[in-house]
Amino acid sequence: MDACTAVAREIEKVLSKFTSYSDHATSTITSLHSNIESLQSEIDQVGSGDITEAQAVILSQAIGRVKEAVNRLSTEHRDLHSSVSKVGKAIDKNFTADFGCISNDSVFSGDKQQLVNEVICQHFFREGLLDIAEEFISETGLELQEESREPFFELNRILAALKARDLGPALQWAEENREKLRAQNSSLEFKLHRLAYINLVKEGPHRVPQAIEYARLHFTPFVYQHEKVIQSLMGCLLYVKGGLEHSPYTDLLGSHQWSEICEVFTRDACALLGLSVDSSLAVCVNAGCTALPVLLNIKQVMQQRAVHNMWNTKEELPIEIDLGPSSRYHSIFACPILRQQSTESNPPMRLICGHVISRDALNKLTTSAKLKCPYCPVEQNPADAVQIFF
Amino acid sequence: MADVSSIEHPTLKVPYDVLNKKFRLAQKTLDREVCHVTSAVTELERILFTDNRSASQISSLLGGVVEKLSSFKRKAEEATQEEIESGRVVKRRVDHLKDHDSLSPSVVAEWKRTRLDRLLVEYLLRAGCYSTATKLASSRGIEGLTNLDVFLVAREVEQSLACHDTSKCLSWCHDNKSKLRKLNSSLEFNVRMQEFIELIRNDRRMDAIRHARKYFTGQEAGHLPSIQRCMALVAFPANTDVSPYKELLSNVRWDQLIEQFRAENLKLYQLSSQSAFSVVVQSGLSALKTPHCYRGATGHNPDCPVCQPSLNSLASPLPYAHCSQSRLVCHISGEQLNENNQPLMLPNGYVYGQKALQQMADENNGTIVCPRTRQTFNIRDAEKVFVM
Repeated sequence: MDACTAVAREIEKVLSKFTSYSDHATSTITSLHSNIESLQSEIDQVGSGDITEAQAVILSQAIGRVKEAVNRLSTEHRDLHSSVSKVGKAIDKNFTADFGCISNDSVFSGDKQQLVNEVICQHFFREGLLDIAEEFISETGLELQEESREPFFELNRILAALKARDLGPALQWAEENREKLRAQNSSLEFKLHRLAYINLVKEGPHRVPQAIEYARLHFTPFVYQHEKVIQSLMGCLLYVKGGLEHSPYTDLLGSHQWSEICEVFTRDACALLGLSVDSSLAVCVNAGCTALPVLLNIKQVMQQRAVHNMWNTKEELPIEIDLGPSSRYHSIFACPILRQQSTESNPPMRLICGHVISRDALNKLTTSAKLKCPYCPVEQNPADAVQIFF
Repeated sequence: MADVSSIEHPTLKVPYDVLNKKFRLAQKTLDREVCHVTSAVTELERILFTDNRSASQISSLLGGVVEKLSSFKRKAEEATQEEIESGRVVKRRVDHLKDHDSLSPSVVAEWKRTRLDRLLVEYLLRAGCYSTATKLASSRGIEGLTNLDVFLVAREVEQSLACHDTSKCLSWCHDNKSKLRKLNSSLEFNVRMQEFIELIRNDRRMDAIRHARKYFTGQEAGHLPSIQRCMALVAFPANTDVSPYKELLSNVRWDQLIEQFRAENLKLYQLSSQSAFSVVVQSGLSALKTPHCYRGATGHNPDCPVCQPSLNSLASPLPYAHCSQSRLVCHISGEQLNENNQPLMLPNGYVYGQKALQQMADENNGTIVCPRTRQTFNIRDAEKVFVM
């Protein structure tokens, strides 16, 4: 069963038990309270004399009830402990308490601390948390070069404006960097103009002349790449009087246009500045969260088989971790014969038939200056194989 | 094992410990109140069995019972309310963790963002960057999901220890007495010892001996050598050069106390000695690390975290990712190389994706410039490569 569900079930039980206990306790004590109070007023009426025998009996019964009830309340509360401790047991059973065992604390301590701080600071800049980054710098005394912050300030200023639905700064930036953006095959500028135009149209029929003016001025350079879009943008003018909401062009008005433009801007601007699209720290942490359970598992298995020091080998992790295609940043060639990753001394070689094996495998398969490709019938001279670079 | 199970233990265990503590406190309060009520009714009972049963006396005793009952009621309500509150904290966190496998990708993406923030907050707290941590938590609205309170209490104690004040630390020890005993902690003894040393330093030797009598007795079992050394200190002046008495009087001991306190505090809440953040970042770096990241600028990919300068040097002592199956990506486009985007080798041995090469060739009348060596070739000279 899912770890969270298990804990959630226990905690819900505890909560409902506590709530019903609380209600029960309040009502019990209230009734005892009023009971004793009414007895008291009854006895007050007797005046200064002694109480009657009957009253004494009633009183001693009441005393018995009070004693029994309060003790029961305390016991009932104590019994709740088993439910409370079940929550703790569920947590311990379903969640790993000690994940530190698979890492090496010397890796991030000492001089490296400074590097970790730098990474965190860059992440804050990246996410636009400028005030937090400043706080962090002042608290850690981190020294960062001024130029490493500049681009982030600009990006964040523009993004903040975009989020406030102000296209001005973004358009200005896009115009300034038009050439580079075009080289990148980015349609950012057109998309910004498109939004500006839609904004004009939205305002109603009286702005149509300005909208047409705007389209003439700004859409023409983009007609080759975006003809279809421009056609539909101009087409929507037909419906302005009746209201675009009731026309086939209603999707032009959606607010998703704004979140989309923010994304496009971030992606293209980052690419232009040579930055990764996602914060590297975020990518790293997400990868780590995928890797950690696998590593913990294998660690357990290795301990059972008495294999030690998986981290001291410093060569390779003991197991393959699949982070998905989006997290593959480099080509890795693993020799299909030796099942090993290629290295500088054992590079991939292309045989003349096109199949690729590692150099060590090639040497092993060679017999008397002849090599038969392990994947096809071609026989060749091993000297004809060439080293390739992925 | 899912990824939540491996790193979220402290997220739930710490508030659970708070709940458990609240439960014990509530039980204590209830027992005390029960005791009060019972003693009030027993008194009444005693009078009932005597001959002298004046109505006014009984009425006043009944008044006492009523009073005790209402205090019982008030205290019980307060205590259970607190229990329910701390139970809800656990529940809120579990509910948040449940979002990790939500069906909607945007919820999951947001959850992952929050996870990073939570990890960062905890790392910052451990690193002593309290105000950054508080600011980050409040700007993201995740105070309830992090163990901020535990660390803020710790900060106060640490600060007071740094000012050579033991009172906060001692009251902390008192609050967590039973758990510290279970951990077999020597923190309280060490703090008492420090107080003794301070008395010696200020030349209040008689007070020091009184202090020793009060606090060192009963500790002989575990700390006899320390106590003996301490007592010998009485014979030495405060500026002695004799070892080990010089060391006992040194101010370094205060820093050691702070460190010991930090470690005990983490142990108390079953927090791992390392932050989840550094463990996760290390595993992540390992999982992403390839030899390419260390082969100079030509191998670098700006999107790869391990190719970023700071992370690159952080990752250098870590193991590489293990890979038994080739995973090829086009150096130009970053797309995967497979049957839809076949790898092609240029005559210089460099391999790129068919799509990217074709696009380049279409734009330049069939010529291709190798982005890494700047050599030019014709697209017709590119040869197919088969990788199994």
